[in-house]
Amino acid sequence: MDITFLKRFITTSIGRKAVMAVSGLLLGGFMVVHLAENLLLFRGEAAYNGWVDLLLSNPVTPFLEVGLLFIFIAHIITGVWVRIEDFLNAPRGYEARKWQGGRTIGSATMLYTAAAILAYLAYHLLTFRFVDHSMGFYQMVTAAFRNPAFVTIYIAGSAALALHLSHGMQSAFQTLGLTHPKYTPFIKLGGLLTAVSMLGFALISVYFLLNIDLKTAEAGYQVTVIR
Amino acid sequence: MTSSKNFSITVRAWRQAGPREPGKMVSYGVKDVSPNMSFLEMLDVLNDELLKKGEPPIAFESDCREGICGCCGLVVNGDVHGPDEHSTVCQLHMRRFRDGDVVTVEPWRVKSFPVLKDLVVDRGALDRIIQAGGFVSINTGAAPDANSIPVEKDRAEEAMDAAACIGCGACVASCPNGAAMLFTGAKISQLALLPQGGPERARRALEMVAAMDKEGFGNCTNEYECEAVCPKDVKVANIARMNREFLLANLVSKR
Repeated sequence: MDITFLKRFITTSIGRKAVMAVSGLLLGGFMVVHLAENLLLFRGEAAYNGWVDLLLSNPVTPFLEVGLLFIFIAHIITGVWVRIEDFLNAPRGYEARKWQGGRTIGSATMLYTAAAILAYLAYHLLTFRFVDHSMGFYQMVTAAFRNPAFVTIYIAGSAALALHLSHGMQSAFQTLGLTHPKYTPFIKLGGLLTAVSMLGFALISVYFLLNIDLKTAEAGYQVTVIR
Repeated sequence: MTSSKNFSITVRAWRQAGPREPGKMVSYGVKDVSPNMSFLEMLDVLNDELLKKGEPPIAFESDCREGICGCCGLVVNGDVHGPDEHSTVCQLHMRRFRDGDVVTVEPWRVKSFPVLKDLVVDRGALDRIIQAGGFVSINTGAAPDANSIPVEKDRAEEAMDAAACIGCGACVASCPNGAAMLFTGAKISQLALLPQGGPERARRALEMVAAMDKEGFGNCTNEYECEAVCPKDVKVANIARMNREFLLANLVSKR
């Protein structure tokens, strides 16, 4: 059991990026599943809470959660490592420099969207994960979505995620060497669709926010937001 | 060739006396610029004027001046190799400029390419990547029969597209991270695609990537600025192929 080759692999520019790419793809996959789960909110309280109960009653779930944490940490460590090296090696001191069209808004803002997603994740865990769940998950989530401030942060988080994935998904395939003229267009399209689908999170929150607003206007009573 | 009237421009060039000297941008007026001059010929004219005045000429590199050697490389008004797409700066002509223009000329500003003098940088780092494995070790002897090793036409074309890289370093100069991935990818690809490169494929990928990392180039973040400026239109698919070669080499290599 000699791990020298692993150490050597992770310290190379391409090995490190491969870890970043694989962890990124896994996290992207998780987000798609997570979105599918959240879409159950439209099906009502019974459907949503039923799924959450099923998930939590599965003895494998805690292990998956720890696995997800490790994937996340691997993505962050390799990402930060790559960026520190890139910062140190970047061409510097051009008086005038024009980008030639290779960069996209998504690719140029990867570091910033990453920071925004991390900050959002911390907030997300503090508001949904490490709280008292006795009121029921559906009630907890929909109550939060009736709070305009929460929904604003939630939309910003979804937008950052969409922007991050708009570059990240296709970039991961390129890093892993999985490109070919016959399927790269499909990868690029798939990556873009995954990125756009992340706005689905924002849509769900807006749906619940507007819903309650309409009801408030109709009934003319004050809604208390359950925290 | 139609020639319109000659004109005057101002050149703002990076002047640096030596590798450890501080540098600065210096402005020079250039009169009587013909629109038919190449950019480098315009610099020649400016240098003649400087020599007549007893001032040191602006050092810049050039050799073939027909876009195939990879010697020249300047950042003109913020464009790597000038404003023309997929072209070297020696192929840039003064008809792209107008009377009264202020033209900024800078060297590649890459950590691994230290400035030697004015606009000349040391691109030895790229040579050292080649020395690490960008070759095939074959016994010399009588020349083998032509076509004794069959190569599929499409593969030969792909290898030639990668081999079109002239090693000018524009990919590094344009990269937001100062990465040499397009260069190294092309040099690994041109051999990986051909049967002659087969026996040393894994070792080559490992050694060349290690050499690239050692030279202090940045990491690839797949922004594809390199492909956009490459004078030989070398595609980022070559970077993907390098990644593939490197990852597979790690799986099969004994190291």
